[in-house]
Amino acid sequence: MSSRGEMTNPGFAREGKSSENEIEQEIADLERQLATAKAKRNTGSQPSELNHLTTPSPAALQLSPVPTSANHFLLLLSDSALPLGSFAFSSGLESYLAHTKAGFHGPSHPPATSPAPFAAFLPLSVSAYASTTLPFVLAAHRNPSTASLAALDDALDATIICTVGRRSSVAQGRALLSIWERSLSAALPPAAGAALQPFSALLKNPQRWDPPPVSAHLAPLFGAIGRLAGLGPEQTAYVFMLGHVKALVSAAVRAGMFGPYQAQKTLAGAGVQGLVAGMVEREWATPVEKAGQCVPVMDLWFGRHEVLYSRIFNS
Amino acid sequence: MDSPFPKSSSAPGEGRILARLLPNGVSGLSAITYQYPLKLIAPSRPSETKSVLVFLLSYGGGLVAGDTVDLKIDVEAGAKLSVVTQGHTKIFKSATPDIVTRQTMRVHVAGGAALCLLPDPVQPFEGSVYEQTQIFKLATDASLCLLDWVTQGRTARGEDWSFVRWVGRNEVWMTGDGPGAGTGRLLVRDAVILDGGLRHPQLKSLRESMRALGVVGTLLLRGPLVKSLGEFFVSEFAALPRLGSRDFRSDEAKARAQAEGDTSSPLEKWRAGRLEMEKESKLLWSAADVRGCVVVKFGAPAVEAGRQWIGSMLAQEGSISQTFGDHALLCVK
Repeated sequence: MSSRGEMTNPGFAREGKSSENEIEQEIADLERQLATAKAKRNTGSQPSELNHLTTPSPAALQLSPVPTSANHFLLLLSDSALPLGSFAFSSGLESYLAHTKAGFHGPSHPPATSPAPFAAFLPLSVSAYASTTLPFVLAAHRNPSTASLAALDDALDATIICTVGRRSSVAQGRALLSIWERSLSAALPPAAGAALQPFSALLKNPQRWDPPPVSAHLAPLFGAIGRLAGLGPEQTAYVFMLGHVKALVSAAVRAGMFGPYQAQKTLAGAGVQGLVAGMVEREWATPVEKAGQCVPVMDLWFGRHEVLYSRIFNS
Repeated sequence: MDSPFPKSSSAPGEGRILARLLPNGVSGLSAITYQYPLKLIAPSRPSETKSVLVFLLSYGGGLVAGDTVDLKIDVEAGAKLSVVTQGHTKIFKSATPDIVTRQTMRVHVAGGAALCLLPDPVQPFEGSVYEQTQIFKLATDASLCLLDWVTQGRTARGEDWSFVRWVGRNEVWMTGDGPGAGTGRLLVRDAVILDGGLRHPQLKSLRESMRALGVVGTLLLRGPLVKSLGEFFVSEFAALPRLGSRDFRSDEAKARAQAEGDTSSPLEKWRAGRLEMEKESKLLWSAADVRGCVVVKFGAPAVEAGRQWIGSMLAQEGSISQTFGDHALLCVK
């Protein structure tokens, strides 16, 4: 977890307390894993599936059949512990709450302390995120070459016309690229592991272009990394969208909209399942040139996060 | 030079505007052609000469299902062109969703030249299907001021985002030196897809997703001649009162501040009035400087509030009027 550097995660410095909690949690998890592994060594027999999940060494992955390796990476990429700093971003939720609060001049809505405002926000946010961003994930999955990835990154940079949205997309994209470089790529065959090096070089040594050639947005990098890790396009798209839902739900908990049980209930619910699958299906064939905002008020909420008096999130 | 009988171009809906700098230093039109259902009018005796003005019209005041308008605009080096409309561009109902009404605009603005496109909003009627694509290729020091806005429809007839589909895409490309000098580099792609058919059990109707807004719009600014205007929007956005802040001053302090209000600058007075108007009309807006372009997004429950707001911003800053003349602002007054 060395990748939790300040550069990769600007939100982290602010979140000292929860960061400590997470590290404590992580240590506890690792200790538990160690105990389990020791217990297995002692008993000598273990279920083979569990074995694949708990021994992510490159050697073991090469021995295992491809789908298992892909499943392994699927679980890694869907892990909320993946330090993309997503929890530092509310994707407009915080601003939405401020704008729909009693007293603000917007249309009146029920008070923000029940699941109702979140239930209204979630589908709009997921739909908007899918229509603006998901085509870039799928396109990068289809062609993760450096030229394609750089072009997609540049095109996405041209479509995110909001300071707050750019900040969150780039911060998470760079965090993902760092994790890939420092942690994940070593576990893959050399060809796949080195595939993003030219892109990285482009990011680190920008020519004197204005705007710079690449910014490292999350969506195209997620698509490319999904492909390199052996995930199918459906899986990649589903995990990407589910990651957005998880970030929203966790932001709602942190904003005090509801508690952890309601959060898990929302995530597990048929509503979220149907929504994510429905959005993946809807954007499956959308070319990136045709991606666009389908919830215009989302751009306003997102952009106006800048004018909130107090903020607990970066977006 | 300007023929009173503009030549017609070959295909229905096709049109062309060629603006250039005349030897006397005034912008003029060296070509203006159009075909039904597109209609272009250039006032023969313009009252102002800061830019050349063209009215972009359609016969009958709107586009009927299946109409296709394809307009090419060239603004040659140093010339300034203003394009306006006369009233909302109405989009009539399509018999079936596969009959798409299209408006395409391909614009090239050369070095030192400028285009100001401040039309009335598009008003899509119930059952209409509309796609609008506007592609702007700008030389390095070309300038562009573009407003693109859409309304909920005919409120008097109960329409409230009742159309089948409205898609608006604006692309700003930089040509000339730099990466991809051949085709140019995409600087901004602003796309809005309002699709009544994008339903899902979890997703409410298009109307509900519009959250009581009656008009949404985008203002796109790029280039040296609109630089100050872009900076004005960004600084006014930064100066917006913080949402959720409280006024902890005592009543006496507030009264004193009120009394001192008379000594505030004209800009501060205007801003206070505008903020009051934003509050009353429930107008929301944001501005961002992105890749050398300033992109302003706004939305309001009432179309006229949106018009009044954008008009007030442009008038207060003043550079559109100075650069292109008052006639460029006809639609936002």
